[in-house]
Amino acid sequence: MNLAIAEFRRAKGRFVSITGALSLIVFLVLVLGALGDGLFFGGTGAVRSSTAQAYAFSADAEGSLVRSRLPLATESELESVDGVAQATAIGALITTTSSVPGGADLVVMGFAPEADPAGVPGTVVEGRLPGPSDPAGVAVDKALADDGLGIGATLQVGGVSTPVVGVVDDAGYQGLPTAWTSLDTYADMRTAVRPEFAGQPVDPSVFGLALVDGVTAEDITPPVGVLVASNEETYLSIPGIREQKSSLNAIIYASLAVAGLVVALFFALVVLEKRELFAALKALGASSRKLGSGVVLQAFGATITAVIVGATAAWLMGQLLPDDIPFLFRPETLVFSAVLTVTAGVVGALLSLRRISRIDPATALGGSL
Amino acid sequence: MITEATPQPMSADSPDAPILRVDTVTKTYGEGHTAVTAVHEASMDVRQGEFVSLLGPSGSGKTTLISMIGGLLTPTSGDIQLGDMVVSDLDSKELTSFRADNVGFVFQSANLVPFLTARENLLWVASLRKERGRAARRAAGERADQLLEELGLAERAGNVPEKLSGGERQRVAIGRALMNDPDLVLVDEPTAALDTAMGRQVVQLLRREIKDRGKTGIMVTHDLRMVEYTDRVFEITDGYLELGGDPAEMAASAAHAGH
Repeated sequence: MNLAIAEFRRAKGRFVSITGALSLIVFLVLVLGALGDGLFFGGTGAVRSSTAQAYAFSADAEGSLVRSRLPLATESELESVDGVAQATAIGALITTTSSVPGGADLVVMGFAPEADPAGVPGTVVEGRLPGPSDPAGVAVDKALADDGLGIGATLQVGGVSTPVVGVVDDAGYQGLPTAWTSLDTYADMRTAVRPEFAGQPVDPSVFGLALVDGVTAEDITPPVGVLVASNEETYLSIPGIREQKSSLNAIIYASLAVAGLVVALFFALVVLEKRELFAALKALGASSRKLGSGVVLQAFGATITAVIVGATAAWLMGQLLPDDIPFLFRPETLVFSAVLTVTAGVVGALLSLRRISRIDPATALGGSL
Repeated sequence: MITEATPQPMSADSPDAPILRVDTVTKTYGEGHTAVTAVHEASMDVRQGEFVSLLGPSGSGKTTLISMIGGLLTPTSGDIQLGDMVVSDLDSKELTSFRADNVGFVFQSANLVPFLTARENLLWVASLRKERGRAARRAAGERADQLLEELGLAERAGNVPEKLSGGERQRVAIGRALMNDPDLVLVDEPTAALDTAMGRQVVQLLRREIKDRGKTGIMVTHDLRMVEYTDRVFEITDGYLELGGDPAEMAASAAHAGH
């Protein structure tokens, strides 16, 4: 006969408040986590899921693909550096298109359509990327394809049109969908929307680097005026990403700490309320360990229930939100949050064990409580 | 007033051999000039099958004494022996097992687990014993049913404490105290929360169960009318334990005096 389970079953009302409070915290944590994931994955996909192991920037770029600008000639310099297998020129242009209903902001990514280019999405879900044998056309982000700009449609930027030949997934940059085309088409679009570039050489923004096996970005000695960063370092340096991630994580961890405190306070009150009963049970021969493990088991049950309720509510909310809100409900985040919530709950309950061990069974006699 | 002498040595095989021996037990709380002695060199022998009462006013030391006998407190000096076991030598962990296996408690306010039924309250105590497994559970179930039947609670076995009257709750508490077939049953003011008629019923029931099962019982009370159901009376005043008078005479004089 397990007292903790019997109480959980028979006195459900007692646990409604704690489970409700924890469910709200889990809901908050998961919504923040989903928003964080949505922002992070939507903001970094173009780099994170790309074929480049590292990127070469101009020294003043501060980690931004858009802000960087390197001469095309840097390609041969980079390819002569020890450890670099291939350098692919990539241009990035934030602009708009009227090819989807209501128009859309997007990032046009131009790349040299060579064999196995470094720095293009490795996540082609339909069609193809522009290639050396057929450099025409554009592969668009799935978000654009979902808005009607699928294969066969035409992407128009500043009067320059190109047919959609492929769809890529998880390729957003700074929260915007991307369109991957040849460096020449990119240059035409850039001149069309920013006439001040007319007549200037087609300088790329960055170079995607494929490294020799066993070589990391730290091992590369770049040419003067060029900075090399790993793929991870690059997407974490995208403006706002690190700040977003750390701010949301701070709120999530604070919420989990609150969950632990809520459980600790709840069970401290429960133990206080049950002092007389616990004293009697200890007098009858129950050990502090047996009573304490019951409290921990109840905390475990309450947090697990809260995770189920909170996760269901967060998932439902995700279904109801419009598509343009970056809300990504990932199983990994759910499992991580669930484990942390249950751990916080159990740790909170463990704080009650000392209180239980200090209950003197002798106080059960004499009506002295 | 007769003072209980230091226990006389008795053969364990003798039918009169005490099962409980309290030998010059003292309990002092605190140290130095703040020390308070709650029990002074108390000695008593109680035989198997005997039901005795421990009488005394509030603060006299009766709860301290019964707590030491029940393994809830450790004496400052002196020995307590139950059967072959020297209770006063046991450590905290051993005392917990000792209480689960050898002592049944009936508390002043029953102290049943509020979310368990009457039957489950009995079964939970059985779960504190070392015996586990299906056979032990079946035996515990049969014993709980038998006890509830004897206590007139068979029909109420599935009720939680709040659905039981005060008397019924105290009867469940008696069943719980007897569930693990203890050698010693310690009863703390069992009538405190009951009216006189219900109190008498409960004490009569206690006596019957203790006698029928050959257990040893000690009842702490300040109600003189209840001592008539016990075999002997011990009185404790300011920590000094003495053997009292004849229980029937004491109860009669209390009734005459209108207590």
